[in-house]
Amino acid sequence: MSQIRLGLDGKQIEVEPHTTLLQAAHQHGIEIPTLCHDDRLDPYGGCRLCLVEVDGAPRPVAACKTVCADNMTVRTHSDDLHRLRRTMLDMLMAEHYEDVGVKPNQLQELAAEHQLVQPSLKLGRRAAYDDRNQWIGFNPGACIMCDRCVRYCDEVMQCSALEHVGQGVGAVVQPTGRKSFLDTSCELCGGCVSTCPTGALYEKQAIVKRGEEVVLGGGGPIADAECEKTRSVCTFCGVGCVLDLNTKDGKVVKVTSDIGVGPNEGNLCNKGKFAFEFIHHSDRLTEPLVRGADGELHVTSWDDALQKVAAGMNGVKQRSGPDAIGFLASSRCTNEDVYIVQKIARAAIGTNNVHSCAAT
Amino acid sequence: MTNSIAEIEDADCMFVIGSNTTEAHPVIALRMKKALRRGAKLLVADPRKTWLARHADLHLQLTPGTDIPLLCGMAYVILEEGLQDQNYIDNLTENFDEFAAAVNEWPPERAAKVCGVPAGMIREAARIYATTERAGIYYTLGITEHICGVDNVRALSNLALITGHIGRESAGVNPLRGQNNVQGCNDMGNNPTYLPGYQAVDNADELRKFSDAWGSELSSVPGLRLDQMMAGMHDDSVKCFYIMGEDPIISEPNLSHVEKGFAKLDFVVCQDIFLTETARKYADVVLPSSCFAEKSGTFTNSERRVQRVRRSVDPPGNARTDLRILLDVARALGHDFGEENPRAIWDEVAALSPKFSGIHYARIEEVGLQWPCPDVDHPGTKFLHEGAPIRGKGLLYAVDHVPPGEEPCAEYPVLLTTGRTLYHYNAATMTMRSPGNVEKQSLPFVEISPDDARDLGVVEGQALQMESRRGQVEVLAQITDRVHPGVVWMGMHYAEARANLLTSDAKDPEIGVPEYKVTAVRLHPAG
Ligand code: SF4
Ligand code: SF4
Ligand code: SF4
Ligand code: FES
Repeated sequence: MSQIRLGLDGKQIEVEPHTTLLQAAHQHGIEIPTLCHDDRLDPYGGCRLCLVEVDGAPRPVAACKTVCADNMTVRTHSDDLHRLRRTMLDMLMAEHYEDVGVKPNQLQELAAEHQLVQPSLKLGRRAAYDDRNQWIGFNPGACIMCDRCVRYCDEVMQCSALEHVGQGVGAVVQPTGRKSFLDTSCELCGGCVSTCPTGALYEKQAIVKRGEEVVLGGGGPIADAECEKTRSVCTFCGVGCVLDLNTKDGKVVKVTSDIGVGPNEGNLCNKGKFAFEFIHHSDRLTEPLVRGADGELHVTSWDDALQKVAAGMNGVKQRSGPDAIGFLASSRCTNEDVYIVQKIARAAIGTNNVHSCAAT
Repeated sequence: MTNSIAEIEDADCMFVIGSNTTEAHPVIALRMKKALRRGAKLLVADPRKTWLARHADLHLQLTPGTDIPLLCGMAYVILEEGLQDQNYIDNLTENFDEFAAAVNEWPPERAAKVCGVPAGMIREAARIYATTERAGIYYTLGITEHICGVDNVRALSNLALITGHIGRESAGVNPLRGQNNVQGCNDMGNNPTYLPGYQAVDNADELRKFSDAWGSELSSVPGLRLDQMMAGMHDDSVKCFYIMGEDPIISEPNLSHVEKGFAKLDFVVCQDIFLTETARKYADVVLPSSCFAEKSGTFTNSERRVQRVRRSVDPPGNARTDLRILLDVARALGHDFGEENPRAIWDEVAALSPKFSGIHYARIEEVGLQWPCPDVDHPGTKFLHEGAPIRGKGLLYAVDHVPPGEEPCAEYPVLLTTGRTLYHYNAATMTMRSPGNVEKQSLPFVEISPDDARDLGVVEGQALQMESRRGQVEVLAQITDRVHPGVVWMGMHYAEARANLLTSDAKDPEIGVPEYKVTAVRLHPAG
């Protein structure tokens, strides 16, 4: 099929057929504010923040939902559009209660960019929701009913564990039947959290300090800005999802993922998103151990442990030959780690007895 | 995988066999869900009614251990109805006649009697798979953890070859890897017959290259596979184990036998983040190591993509990174393998392995690269076998049904099959220490059909005693039509009900992978 030609902010551009105006703008480095849009979801056109002017159209159109057509002339920024967007944001901020403990978020950033300090009115506050689950927090008072979470759960997860009920000011988004996330068809993937633009859905902080005591799971929300992000790869299955470990005071407190990044495009499952509490579990081994004459394991120094490892392996090698020693490498360690394992087996011990526990 | 994860969403037909993808590889399943929304056809062969099975065009609910009759039956239909890609067969495969003769033994009517899938459904599945353009096969341990695991994979590759569904985008044969770095662990030569980069220890030139690079004369005698090492403990040929991040007395089949072997060893080292059962009972030295968040390096995912792992926190207490520990062990053994510098170690790997030589950290800081990647200008390889199979011609195999090592009998009338669940991971040492996972799913359960539950007189949630010839465990009944009568299913994750107390050490004779997927058991209410 041939390319579509159109004018965008005074430039003539060409795009593939079926490209939306929003995609075309991104391809050409033009930012259009959006709130209800997520590349992983079907175009929706709910928030009207992405309005743009098209010559000949009676009123502005939503860039996220409008497909490019030949000979269109499009303006993404003008004083009128700025005013319109500010009005939309004013209405959305009327629903968004910041004092429910939400952290800075996409909505608040956009409001600030549009010089909106105080919304002109405040609508009724949505009733709080409490859940015993350890991972996902929900603060309806901050919700603006953009339906991103519901659509993520329907379209991407195909789990339908969230619902949009009621109409107008009485409308709410909630886990099906207002039950706990644990009691619906929810699979705790956290995708709804990752797409929420208001912080109404949030990751419960994984590490909570109560005085000196450190408790795992179930904490309040924590802002991205309070954390340091390190990009890495999930440690569980072989999909290799790319994720960001968010750390604070030397502890991993939450995991986030950027939309579109990695083979997972920002999606995760419950393990990658939430099951990292083991990192700081008190059962972690913290000292080398050796078995004593009493048959029990005792704490020792690294020097002693390493020397005993070498003596033990050399002893077996002398008595029974190098092929009496076997190495089991971990399929969870890095390539660099396991490269050294087989190098020790082959070059330092002299055996090819090296394998791992999983063949697939 | 021959293909990339992203290609899945453009498939016209997905043939998912022996993989409960939504639970074991949830994010790959998202691509499948996306393809489904686009209208792709879905064929699922699984003993259980999984999520994908419920959404499939056809659910081939076969009896565990009968994949070959099913796949041969499909091949029979393809040849009978002339749906094969004759061009591909003529030019790019060999051994067709022998293959066709073997397939000829399996008309769908005969296959149906063995695998329990109606003949008409086998025919329909064959037609859908053969006549769609971008048809991909996806499988996992449900195919490989059988006595005939290697032949199962061959039967799948036969199907792809005769239809020419290989070497193209979204068409291929795709094993989905279970653990995050199974792929990399193999790539790096943690294999008794292969050096890093799949270079054979008994290839004199390749061995020489490594001997020179490492400054040691290396052994050209292939080593022992895991199952052979396990057996070697019993005949005293193996006296010492260095075990890293594994818990063989939980993860290996026929556990009581494995423990007897461990008791005979002279020396055992365990390097791990938790005190495993193996370490607690048998280690002479335990070395506290690091989890993924505490180290830097690379992992290689199922689609052969080498991606950067980065340290974000320190190891707890006096625990150390695995790399530092291993380099110190080498030094204690009199070998200096250099400093703790993952980048330099990767460069050593790349220099010695043509498949990876174009991959360097500087190229993968943002986005990982897929091997083969032979030089620094190579963009990486999205899918394999483009144009022609890598070995020149695709080898078609004559395969035949191998009955499971153990079949139901009067004494043990029920077939147990095992697998992973969404909320836990392997021996669950990590997930059982994450409060959220425990909250969602903490007790060992067995899926049992309503008919079998009625016959046993058990109700939902009631404790059951499940026994095989080797051991017994107690589990809670979860009554569901996900399984057929005569078949039960349980997760592999529970320390207090280790499925591997029951499983047999029957294994594939070629690669020694144990038959975790088929065990004969009997059940009765506990207490
Ligand atoms: S966590 Fe995932 S499955 Fe659960 S409600 Fe959110 S999107 Fe749906
Ligand atoms: S919870 Fe968040 S994503 Fe869901 S409707 Fe409210 S604001 Fe939108
Ligand atoms: S997030 Fe889930 S699907 Fe992705 S790698 Fe981790 S375990 Fe696998
Ligand atoms: S982003 Fe386009 S209408 Fe919301």
